Amino acid sequence: MKILVIEDNRDLLENILTYLKREGYRCETAPDYDIAFNKIMSFTYDVILIDLMIPGGSGLQILRELKSARPQTGTIIISAKNSLDDKVTGLELGADDYLTKPFQLAELHARIKAVYRRNNLNGDAVVQVNEIAIHTKKMETRVNETLVDLTPKEYDLLLYFSSNKNHVLSKQTIAEHLWGDYVGHLDNLDFVYQHIKNLRKKLIQAGANDYIESIYSIGYKFNVNRRSP
Amino acid sequence: MKLFTKFLLIYLAVSVVVLGIGGIISYHIIKDEIDKELKFEFLDRIDRVTYLLEQGKTFAKFREIDQDENLVIVPLDTFKENNTQVSDTLIWDDRFEREEKNVKVSAFRNINDTTYFISTYGNMIESDDVREAVISILLWILGLQVLGAAGIGFVVSGPLFKPFRKTLKRIQNFQINEKQYLKAEPTNVKEFRDLNIFVEEMTKKAVSDFNNLKEFAENASHELQTPVAIAKGKLELLTETNLNEQQYSYVEKLETTLNKLSRLNDSLALLTKIENHEFSTNETVNISKIVKDGIDAFQELLSLNNLQLVTDISDSTILKIHPSLAEIMWSNLFRNAITHNIQNGEINISLNTDYLEISNTGKELKTEPFVLFERFKKGEQNSESIGLGLSIVKRIVDQNEMLISYTSEKNRHTIRISLKSVKTD
Repeated sequence: MKILVIEDNRDLLENILTYLKREGYRCETAPDYDIAFNKIMSFTYDVILIDLMIPGGSGLQILRELKSARPQTGTIIISAKNSLDDKVTGLELGADDYLTKPFQLAELHARIKAVYRRNNLNGDAVVQVNEIAIHTKKMETRVNETLVDLTPKEYDLLLYFSSNKNHVLSKQTIAEHLWGDYVGHLDNLDFVYQHIKNLRKKLIQAGANDYIESIYSIGYKFNVNRRSP
Repeated sequence: MKLFTKFLLIYLAVSVVVLGIGGIISYHIIKDEIDKELKFEFLDRIDRVTYLLEQGKTFAKFREIDQDENLVIVPLDTFKENNTQVSDTLIWDDRFEREEKNVKVSAFRNINDTTYFISTYGNMIESDDVREAVISILLWILGLQVLGAAGIGFVVSGPLFKPFRKTLKRIQNFQINEKQYLKAEPTNVKEFRDLNIFVEEMTKKAVSDFNNLKEFAENASHELQTPVAIAKGKLELLTETNLNEQQYSYVEKLETTLNKLSRLNDSLALLTKIENHEFSTNETVNISKIVKDGIDAFQELLSLNNLQLVTDISDSTILKIHPSLAEIMWSNLFRNAITHNIQNGEINISLNTDYLEISNTGKELKTEPFVLFERFKKGEQNSESIGLGLSIVKRIVDQNEMLISYTSEKNRHTIRISLKSVKTD
């Protein structure tokens, strides 16, 4: 997958690149409006991440140019502004998603994958993790053709894990992904554990390996190389 | 009291005082003038008598020329120097049956070696008459002044003050978040022109200050979120390295702290936005749906803490309030009810067109309930919450002119919001 990251902050850019490159993506960067404009006009990308405030122009303008020149490119807006107006404008202009700073890299990655699936595979992708197959259009999960009956939250959780295989995901990260802003103000994240316990049980019952690894009971890792003992 | 009424009252009060003093002065001046004239008249009469005596004419001792004119001419046996005395004297008045103050002129005159005492007295107009005349004149003047003042007032409060009233109305309708300053309207009265120009400058400044403040709040939020995003990303990358349990728990703690910082930032930016009236729209919202959706979103937390939920929610209650604000208000209230609850506790929610009430079991309050509406005030200072939830609720409530009450009885906390001001029907 080829990704263009339009972001002027070096440190943030480094974070994003480190995370995405580890996943094997080809990443290019554009620190200002002119470079970004040149790149989107000259090359094609699968997904473009656009920071709204960049030197030399506005991210929304880039989005406008992009949508008229290459409408099929997936776009995710990254903005520090938690402003409803910007969000509405961005999505109206055809952005696929909108992410507010500060975000989790795992969350960004999950969204990039979702956008990619929607745009390139007509949303009919099957995410295959060893013996587990996640049919994203039908929202179905099968283990070796055995249907696993997951609740919407458990399905979401599994998809999130599969997007961030072998990464350590803290409870906080998972909670924010599943419940969004609602969870922000809570101290007790035990309900994350409940969901993970249920998901794990259902997958093992369907005959899958026990991939979900607890990291010091603070975070979790979907370790695809792990084998059930 | 209207300006015109006040003006009229002051004008009349001043007029009464001025006319009163003027009346007293007028009375004395008129009276003095009359007395003076009378005195000259009497002196003249004495001179005439003297002249006639010199010519050899004789008079009766007392004689009356007419009813009011008294003249006494008495030849004396003794010699007196020529002398004239003017004095006031009280004379019995038959007509009024009381003593009246009269002018009296007495003189000694030596004519042909005989000393005559010549005296005369009288009054032309009684004091009462003078007083009555003065009072009647003053009353007429006062009456005319009232009429005049009313006329002036009509003109002043009508056409003359029209530009002023217009300006006043525009100031009353001025809305800072509409970002439109009040342009000075032309008028040929200097004071009003000054006022209009002043209003224009002032509203221009207010609008620009408002924009600056808004921009600052947004920029501050923006500038803070980026470093937090960087730090969070670095922590995430750090968890990918081989950390031992203690290191990992430090990272986790840092992550939650950063989340709290970012939430704090969001909440403060939100409070500023509410205070800047950035949410004042005429949108309506189905609060019943928001309440029910909120309950669904928190379902897991309810069951995790084994909380009993009792609801009495009327269907489709529509309120005139910004949708985002309604959502924020409800999620703050409901989240509070969950996080400050006890294991196996209870939450009661009732919603109808008049009020929204949420009550929950919880620990007994150590502070007065209303204190919790203030910023950074928490029931327990060491709790993890940032202490802005209820102040955001309060701001939203204030902004929409709703009333909120917080009562706590032992371990039951009840918040009730009256919906009268935002009702639609």
